[in-house]
Amino acid sequence: MVKHEDVRAEAKKLLESGKVKYIIAYELGADGWKANPVFIKKPEDVDKIIWGPTCFHNLIRFVVDEKRRKVQQKNPDTRPVGVMVKGCDSRAIVILLQEKFIERKDVHIIGVSCEKTGVIDERKLANKLKGRKAKNVEFGPDENFVVTTEEGTVDLPASEIMADRCLECIAHVPVITDVLFGEKTKRTVPHPFGSVEKIETLSSEDRWKFWSEQLEKCVRCYACRSVCPMCYCDECVADTITFAVSPDTTAEEKAQKIKWLDKSPVISENIFYHMVRAIHLAGRCIDCGECERACPVNIPLRMLNKKLEKEAKLLFGYDVGFDSEKPALISCFRDEDPEDFIR
Amino acid sequence: MKKRTGIFICHCGINIAGTVDVKSVAAEMAKEPGVAHSVDYVYMCSDPGQNMIEQAIKDKKLDSVVVACCSPNLHETTFRNAAKRAGINSFKCEIANIREQCSWVHKDKGKATHKAAHLTKSAVKKVQKNESLEPISVPVTRKALVIGGGISGIQSALDLAGAGYKVILVERSPSIGGHMSQLSETFPTLDCSQCILTPKMVEVSRHPNIKLMTYSEVQEVTGYVGNFKVKILKKPTYVDPAKCNLCDECTKVCPIVVPNEFDVGLTGRRAIYIPFPQAIPASYTLDDKNCPDPFTTIACGKCADVCKVKAINYDMKPEIIEEEVGAIIVATGFDLYDKENMAEYGYGKYADVLDGLQFERLCSASGPTQGKILRPSDHKEPKEVVFIQCSGSRDPELHCAYCSKICCMYTAKHAMLYKHHVHDGQAYIFYIDVRSGGKGYEEFVQRAVEEDGVIYLRGKVSKIFEENGKIKVWGVDTLSGKPIEIDADMVVLAQAMRPSNGAQELAKKLKLGTDKDGFLAEAHPKLRPVESVTAGMFLAGAAQAPKDIPEAVAQASGAASKAIGILSQERLYHSPTVAKVLKNLCTGCGMCVAVCPYDAIAFKDGKVEVNEVLCEGCGTCSATCLRAAIQVKNLTQNQVQEMILACLGG
Repeated sequence: MVKHEDVRAEAKKLLESGKVKYIIAYELGADGWKANPVFIKKPEDVDKIIWGPTCFHNLIRFVVDEKRRKVQQKNPDTRPVGVMVKGCDSRAIVILLQEKFIERKDVHIIGVSCEKTGVIDERKLANKLKGRKAKNVEFGPDENFVVTTEEGTVDLPASEIMADRCLECIAHVPVITDVLFGEKTKRTVPHPFGSVEKIETLSSEDRWKFWSEQLEKCVRCYACRSVCPMCYCDECVADTITFAVSPDTTAEEKAQKIKWLDKSPVISENIFYHMVRAIHLAGRCIDCGECERACPVNIPLRMLNKKLEKEAKLLFGYDVGFDSEKPALISCFRDEDPEDFIR
Repeated sequence: MKKRTGIFICHCGINIAGTVDVKSVAAEMAKEPGVAHSVDYVYMCSDPGQNMIEQAIKDKKLDSVVVACCSPNLHETTFRNAAKRAGINSFKCEIANIREQCSWVHKDKGKATHKAAHLTKSAVKKVQKNESLEPISVPVTRKALVIGGGISGIQSALDLAGAGYKVILVERSPSIGGHMSQLSETFPTLDCSQCILTPKMVEVSRHPNIKLMTYSEVQEVTGYVGNFKVKILKKPTYVDPAKCNLCDECTKVCPIVVPNEFDVGLTGRRAIYIPFPQAIPASYTLDDKNCPDPFTTIACGKCADVCKVKAINYDMKPEIIEEEVGAIIVATGFDLYDKENMAEYGYGKYADVLDGLQFERLCSASGPTQGKILRPSDHKEPKEVVFIQCSGSRDPELHCAYCSKICCMYTAKHAMLYKHHVHDGQAYIFYIDVRSGGKGYEEFVQRAVEEDGVIYLRGKVSKIFEENGKIKVWGVDTLSGKPIEIDADMVVLAQAMRPSNGAQELAKKLKLGTDKDGFLAEAHPKLRPVESVTAGMFLAGAAQAPKDIPEAVAQASGAASKAIGILSQERLYHSPTVAKVLKNLCTGCGMCVAVCPYDAIAFKDGKVEVNEVLCEGCGTCSATCLRAAIQVKNLTQNQVQEMILACLGG
């Protein structure tokens, strides 16, 4: 079991020695039971750091932001940033390294093992508690969570309130770390692609109907894009306001900017946006589930990415985010790649 | 400035006009924005057609041209040259393919006309955004590399050298000569193979323009047409050919005996050996795979002890030699289909079941039996010999689907040679068809039947097994429908030809395509049979497909003349439609670097850079880049979007 004190001691050591610029970690949120991301800059603040089943956030997004800030700075502080990572988050670092967006020396990775469980799904918990308010959620000794409400403490099995992505997780322990807390446990995952199994049985008409209904809801707030550690392009085809114009952008380049899709949240444009995002995440999405968690209208976005992850695995045996030395999925053509889908 | 595009719609006789209403397409195009001229004509590619385009460019002051006709593979160059003659940049001419991609594949005239108009509109949108580009020019290294020292490689090298160009001939075995040096007599004239080959081998060794590198392998090829950089691994022979006086004392003392490759395993050779007496270069090779033998760690040193001229040097090391060449000819030849695959014919199980090459060695005057045909098992003269054609060929279920082409002829030759050696013997040939197309070939087969009494049995052999010292051959004669049983003394299998060992790996190094059977792929099966898909690399001999000596030699000369076509140029020109990096979008992720088939993209200052000379403009990088930060000139995202809109619109 990961002990808070150990993580805090490590953080203190890192900050005191000046080895890291700051540490991106989790603290207890204002509501008193859920975690929030926090930037710890001073050694005396390390006691804020917590670790628990409500640490949903993929903090690697802040590493991406740090890199972007650094590019803008004239004399940037080149020390690494410390970052707390779960197994899934660590794979995002692997992708950023693979794509040479960051260098290994840019991050000091403080890994925490999810051991036998993972993080909870807030909605599942709310359904379970039927209106009662949670006051505290902790890891149980076995595959369970200990949930405290005003009416007392209940033991809930992981299978009932854990996030879907944790049920399908293939990296319970961070794959790349500088320091690791917790046990290197192994957990069997009976259905690694469970969330797409049901929809795969539907006919193409039914699938179209399902997705049309889901994507109709999209308000194009781009929360999914903002929260995604892989969505780090300066320019996004989805909206013209991101188009980068720098002093050396030529008139020709400005004229070449294309409006591939319309801003208005209508179904055709929504589908276009989400399809482009899904395709651009093929072989890059590490299933941290942040897009789906951040979505204000509950679109099951993970399903799109999971499907592509499954295709990559089944067709090409490609595991996303485990080896930063390997070429990316779409640039690793091999002669023996299957071609039977080409007709 | 307002665009002035000219549209020229070709009827192609009725090829296009039969399905597409060309007049209405021309009329519709005239209404398009920026179109200043729109006409149709029966054959645009004809001289009057081309003149029409040139005249219109001049008269109507056109700044770009779209020709709606056949595939750009056929006449793009024709029309681009016409545009250039009329004074506009050749890249201001685009082709709309309304034949292969429209009229030939559709029946409904209304719909086909609609589609043709949209394809043309899309080309108009593209051409209006095309940049004027000039070809990229590069100098030429006037030297050629020939890979493979069989008859094809020898012929190519001699032709190139004869034309005055320097040639490097690389052969991986210790001597040039290839399979042809193993043959006894050659069909259809029955002249001695070595007698016609060795003069050419000698010429190679004496030619001042040829640098011969035997016992060497091509390790790496980089660069592009006109300017390849090659790394060649020269394996150590441990014998200095300059000192060696061919006294043969070393082989007498060498204790290690291994199967002799030249005699296809019918005899043994020592670890230090000369492949055959006429080998070029005439020198010995110490085979370090077998010496020292696996049970000792250090060579016994006997050969060095007896060598009076001190030619043996155990300290010789492999060397990597770097060369620059302008053109490459690949003549890696063939090997026979693996024996292990022919278990049904008892190959490898019975000593007297041989393959075609082994039988050649038996017939050869320089062979293990000095030209006497004797059974390997008991050295007796075989009185009944069964030859089986298509052993491994024409069998898509189990073996090779293709016809190995030469087996009909060499089997007839084998049967004939056998009769010439053993007058009272009987030769049987099991065949599926006899394919004897070629000058003097059919007459040759007839001679085998009529003069040498060879019995041709149409059918396949079902089983071969040994009984009472005879090899029983069970088959069927499908013409009479009767089962056949022959008590043979020897069976000869006409094994299929397949690409030589290692050809696949070499093809990968050279980035050459291969066909489904592993033979090197030609650029066009009919019109470019000696060119490979990579510019500046040519194919010769059986590496490309099974072929006999005359065909291999003809192709070798063809490849040489194609290579001379490159080497004789002052400079080469390269298409300027290459990839371009948009620096402010590039994040330096390197996906394009990994995916580029031509190694044309490299990292530079955290971003990437395109080597325009290496880039072939294939667009793989552009399709891979998540950020549209790399685009091919004249096929930019912007153009693609406009083309899509034009295709979809209205």
